[in-house]
Amino acid sequence: MNARIPRRLPNRRRQLLSASLLLLLGALVLVVRADAAEPVGDARTVDQDVQALKKELVDLNRDLFRLEEELLYPASTQVAVFLSVNVGTFFALDSVQLRLDGKEVANYLYTEREVAALHRGGVQKLYLGNLTAGEHELVAMFTGKGPHDRDYRRGTTLRFDKAVGAKYVELRITDRESALQPEFAVRQWD
Amino acid sequence: MASLARHCWSLVAGASLALPGATAAAGPSAPGASDLPPPSKIRDLDYGDVLFHFFQDDYFEALVRLEVARELDRVPDHAAEAELLAGGLYLSLGMHAEARRRFEAVLAGPVPQSVADRAHFYLARIGFQRGYLDEAWRSLESIRGALPGDLEPERRLLAANVLMAQGRYREAAATLDGWTDASGWVHFARFNLGVALVRSGDAARGRQMLDAVGTIDATGEEQLSLRDRANLALGFALLQDRQPQPAIVALGRVRLDGPYTNRALLGLGWAEADAAQPQRALVPWLELRKRPLVDAAVQESHLAVPFAYARLAANGEAATQYRNAVSAYAAESRRLDESIAAIRRGGLLDAVLDAAPGAVADPGSVGWLWQLQRAPDAPHTRYLYQLLASHQFQEGLKNYRDLRIMQRNLQAWEGSLEAFDGMIAAREAAARARAPRKDEVLASTDLGALELRRAGLAERVANITATRDVAALATPEESMQWRRLDELDARVSALPAGERRDALAERARVLRGLLSWQLDAAYKLRLWHLRASLQQADVALAETRRRLALVEQAGDLAPRQTDGFAARVSELRRRMSALQPRIDAAAAAQEQVLAGIAVREIEAQKARLASYATQAQFALATLYDGAASGGGR
Repeated sequence: MNARIPRRLPNRRRQLLSASLLLLLGALVLVVRADAAEPVGDARTVDQDVQALKKELVDLNRDLFRLEEELLYPASTQVAVFLSVNVGTFFALDSVQLRLDGKEVANYLYTEREVAALHRGGVQKLYLGNLTAGEHELVAMFTGKGPHDRDYRRGTTLRFDKAVGAKYVELRITDRESALQPEFAVRQWD
Repeated sequence: MASLARHCWSLVAGASLALPGATAAAGPSAPGASDLPPPSKIRDLDYGDVLFHFFQDDYFEALVRLEVARELDRVPDHAAEAELLAGGLYLSLGMHAEARRRFEAVLAGPVPQSVADRAHFYLARIGFQRGYLDEAWRSLESIRGALPGDLEPERRLLAANVLMAQGRYREAAATLDGWTDASGWVHFARFNLGVALVRSGDAARGRQMLDAVGTIDATGEEQLSLRDRANLALGFALLQDRQPQPAIVALGRVRLDGPYTNRALLGLGWAEADAAQPQRALVPWLELRKRPLVDAAVQESHLAVPFAYARLAANGEAATQYRNAVSAYAAESRRLDESIAAIRRGGLLDAVLDAAPGAVADPGSVGWLWQLQRAPDAPHTRYLYQLLASHQFQEGLKNYRDLRIMQRNLQAWEGSLEAFDGMIAAREAAARARAPRKDEVLASTDLGALELRRAGLAERVANITATRDVAALATPEESMQWRRLDELDARVSALPAGERRDALAERARVLRGLLSWQLDAAYKLRLWHLRASLQQADVALAETRRRLALVEQAGDLAPRQTDGFAARVSELRRRMSALQPRIDAAAAAQEQVLAGIAVREIEAQKARLASYATQAQFALATLYDGAASGGGR
């Protein structure tokens, strides 16, 4: 059979091709301009409303957060224990256990995301509670994996005087003293 | 939300390009690492606590804690950084107006140049995002030094983007000259510039840029995806310029399993067809035609396949394929009608978010937009991928998600407020229970009488000291001895004068002298003890006074404190109640806006399908016409 090409197809082909180009280059325009796209019309109004609502929600949460802290942990009796990490990424923290005056007050298992946040400089507020003025004992224990998959378990004990006013204690897991050996350093903040 | 935060901290080039799905991808390096103090430099623990949440992408929690810490003056040693971070967090959460205010506040204060530079950078970003290009450019020009870490390449990318948006392509190209950073930002900039040049008519230079990005040694999904886009853009630019062979090379570099595969296959077929190779064109088009018809490139392949058969003079096969295309388009058009009806019934955005389970449950989730690309084939969500390509739809969807998260946040606090109510009630009950005991203590303690007695004692001591009255400090035994000596003197005086009386008188005098000496010798020590006792009494009295005051206040303070808390709880509950209906209204408005966009998009797809169907029918008629006049096979 003889091959016959319909007369009009080349034009239609061009039509199709130009449709494709419009479609695809159109998508590429978006790439350049997307960041500069400002909502228009109704979308702009809704966007402004949502922005205002979000700001009010932030303010509301701030006030609720303060109320909760002041109600549950008044400044006169408040004690907060923070945990920070200053070791190489070779050490993967698994858990931290905290005992105050012989009573377990925190037993925390860490997710990878939390460990990464600690390694990058985040400080975790591990425990927030109340203590009467006077002498107290804090015992902290951490577990984790170091180089060569080696398990680590280290602890520390702190005896401290709680005066009237908030007391901050920072537990820092550090390897500053002995290379590649994670251990606790304790610092009291006033 | 997450991708905006990463923008703010200089991280995700992909997000700035608004690639569907790429918004959630990781940036070229760790977020914010160079923009924040190293671990050992945290000087306020509460600031570290904020960073702990920030680094987990939980921006809302980080912002709330930061605002509390700032209000309570708990981050004095990170004041400038905290203001900058607050601005960044507001920007991350889509609150551009507040973010702008915070960055301007940073610049209003005496801050180090490095902090001011970063504030200018973020203001430039906001200006660009909101379309205020001149303002954005002025902010960029205000930056004095190199920005830390990944912010510097992002600044260059932003500068290039602003210049491109202003149509200053030559200057934009100049900003990219000699830029060879390892982070990969330059590739995004060159890609953007390449596309802009092609569109502005400088195709040769544009293609050069795109070719450079299309041949990068890509690492990671983000760069692979960018390379695909560059090759796709380059391929179609070459096709437009009727250069099929280099177009085939460029399109052939697009991965076979990426998000741009369909469009690349379509383009590859057209390039082969343009090179007079319809047999070869069929290979990508037939592969493409097997794929779901929801994709525009697949839809076009249903027309392209019979076109190739016709070019090969296989008119019988071409006619069959055109008929199949018409049926497929009709079926797809009905599905589009179903989608439009489903969207108009409402619930579009909930259906969209339900397709990404972590979207609302985990406010820190960075992958939810990515998950939506694999949305289920349901009427609401079938055409989601196309919709998500629209920046406006993405932003609206993020707003809707934020509103849903806000609703959950308020619900969670409602539970807490109930607990607070219970706690305050318990405290009031305890205060009431203590009241009778308090009254009893107060009634049985006469502090006034005690203070009178203390004053009398002090006066006596003063008199003794003034007159050196040693006898006043005598022990009871010494006092008795003194009195007996007085009696003895009286009795001796009553005796008849004579030697015996004289002898007794002398003896009594000696004894009195002895006793006087004894009293005098002990006087100083006894006076010191007396004064010490008086001081102790003063201390005890003061303590009694303080405790009594506490007991007195206890009854007054407890109700006043709980009243304070109760009033705060009540006020916060009022604010929560007022927010709830406004959130519902905003969510409904957002749904309406996006449903409108979705329906318009789907109607446009319907129109395109109708056009394809018409073209197929027309081609079919032409084939029949040709066959009737004796051609074809």
